Amino acid sequence: MSERKIVASDPGEVMLQARNVKFDWSDLPMHWVPGDPYTTHVLNVLHLLLPAGEHWFVDTFKEALPYIDDEKLRDDVIGFIGQEAVHAEAHTGVLVHLQAKGLDPTPFTDQMEWAFGKVLGSDSVTSLRSKNNLVERLALIAAIEHVTAFLGDWVLNADGLDRAGIHPTMLDLLRWHGAEEVEHRSVAYDTLRYFDKREVRRLRTFVVVVPLMAYIWMRGIIFLMKNDPELQSAPKSVRKPRSALWRKSVRRGTLPALTHVGRSMSRYLKKSYHPSQEGSTAQAVRYLASSPAAQAAAR
Amino acid sequence: MKLSSRRVPRLLPKDAPPDLRGRGRPDRSMQLLGTFLNGYMQAAAGAEYNDAVAGHNPDSALKLVVTEREIVAEDNDVAALTLASPTGAQLPIWHPGCHLDLHLPSGRRRQYSLCGNPSDRSSYRIAVRRIPTGAGGSIEMHGLEPGTEVTVRGPRNGFPFVGEGSALFVAGGIGITPIIAMVRAARILGMDWQFVYCGRSRDTMPFLDEIESWESDRVFVRTDDVYGYPTEGELLERAPAGGAVYCCGPTPMLDAVRRDFRQCPSTALHFERFGPPPILDGTPFEVQLISTGAVLDVAADASVLTAVKEQKPNVAYSCQQGFCGTCKVRVLSGEPEHLETRLTPEEQRDHMLICVSRARSGRLVLDL
Repeated sequence: MSERKIVASDPGEVMLQARNVKFDWSDLPMHWVPGDPYTTHVLNVLHLLLPAGEHWFVDTFKEALPYIDDEKLRDDVIGFIGQEAVHAEAHTGVLVHLQAKGLDPTPFTDQMEWAFGKVLGSDSVTSLRSKNNLVERLALIAAIEHVTAFLGDWVLNADGLDRAGIHPTMLDLLRWHGAEEVEHRSVAYDTLRYFDKREVRRLRTFVVVVPLMAYIWMRGIIFLMKNDPELQSAPKSVRKPRSALWRKSVRRGTLPALTHVGRSMSRYLKKSYHPSQEGSTAQAVRYLASSPAAQAAAR
Repeated sequence: MKLSSRRVPRLLPKDAPPDLRGRGRPDRSMQLLGTFLNGYMQAAAGAEYNDAVAGHNPDSALKLVVTEREIVAEDNDVAALTLASPTGAQLPIWHPGCHLDLHLPSGRRRQYSLCGNPSDRSSYRIAVRRIPTGAGGSIEMHGLEPGTEVTVRGPRNGFPFVGEGSALFVAGGIGITPIIAMVRAARILGMDWQFVYCGRSRDTMPFLDEIESWESDRVFVRTDDVYGYPTEGELLERAPAGGAVYCCGPTPMLDAVRRDFRQCPSTALHFERFGPPPILDGTPFEVQLISTGAVLDVAADASVLTAVKEQKPNVAYSCQQGFCGTCKVRVLSGEPEHLETRLTPEEQRDHMLICVSRARSGRLVLDL
């Protein structure tokens, strides 16, 4: 009723632009969540998974671009591609650092590159079929983007990460990435709708994506804990990933509670779902304007 | 048992990467994942795509008509235009910082920030400074008489405003247009705000009447003819500790604010990012596309991307500043001049980013 109500403090839907970033990993310790190798490695899986995954996003959306006539959606997709390309590069920087610290990530990242690049890469069947294949991949990405928007919203709000004294550069990487995931959370969904307005494709891809992501994540945690040179002489209770460690991190606020994850995931199944209802653009915009890495690289 | 051990390996992809534990065979989990995904993609997307399932959005362009034209600066060089639907229909909602993309009768396209009242859903207001030495868009805009029909896209938000906490607004010249909408919102929302409005002299600055009716302890109208050019850090003197700075104005002012921001107590810096930076000391050259053999001229002040886009409108790109790598293209002959910050030296040997990199030799042949 009042004018105050009409003037929303939220910026509404925003245009997307890639931001350049600069991270200096020279003083990053192996366990950048201090004293907590488990949480460190749960979050390190992001660095293993994302470069290959995001390159696949970029290639898939590049392939979709010629089919998109809607000018606004085209602009969104162009911004999305650039943001994802910069994310992939930023996470690759952490992998170089892990390698230098004696944890060779390549056996795992080779597998991710094979899964995304080879198995899910664009195929060479006839054009109409490959377009259907393209749309299926867009649907898989729309489902993954629901997961990443959830993670982005979580990491922006996880005060526990601040309290745990996590390395500031890594916290900035996670929150900068998370904020851009929140900022562009509608693009993949809107692109899927542009090509396929039916519920069936949206839902079946989600049902495939969530268990696969959980499985790959678990493999990643096991791989990292096993190959962490600083854990070789640690007792088994520290070295072995157990669900009790996850629950401990949830209590500290350094990982999301699985009930919270489950509730957020199930919202994708609703007919009324739209990504704009998840997360806060205002919060993302505010973080991006203050991110040290984005300010360091600003031209 | 014997049967399955003979059959299973045939179904499994042979090219899967090695096992994670260093056993000398392809990783069994990856093989199963590959088999599953191949089967899934075949079952789910093996048929032909059917266009009937598409949910294409309707064309988002609006046809609006100029309903009012008003001169809003004493030097007569700033015109405020009001646009409304010819049928009186409600216009799409907008937020402070949004702009419109106008298609002018000449075919030019120009972006202008909205500077009216967002709660008035019946019209949009923009303001245009006439730049006699510009490319002609502002002169054409100034000539739009009431009754002229224009095609408009948007509103789109490239300069988002978050109406919380404390903020300093810095506007220079015609950069006032998005800022005035933000300051009005900040006043309504009861934010703790400060506003520095800069210009050459008072007669060039639009909207002074309204702005000087606001809280005088929060508004500073700063003209170069009275105060000289701003010194280092001066524009940010009122920046609130832990708050935000919103800045819009000419490039030198924006550069100064960005440079000095590190030293000020605010934490968030918001400004509008405009497309690619201008090319200042380029030289012309040619590029040839291997697919068609077409030879394109790249002007001294244009990028390879601009030239290629005219032939291939679907060429992929994004940041247009040489850092995201989306527009990477293989160079088949010729010597590129690498002006980007993304590619590794190995990649630079036979690839280039066409958004910013140019040619050392007279012609580049590109794998496009």
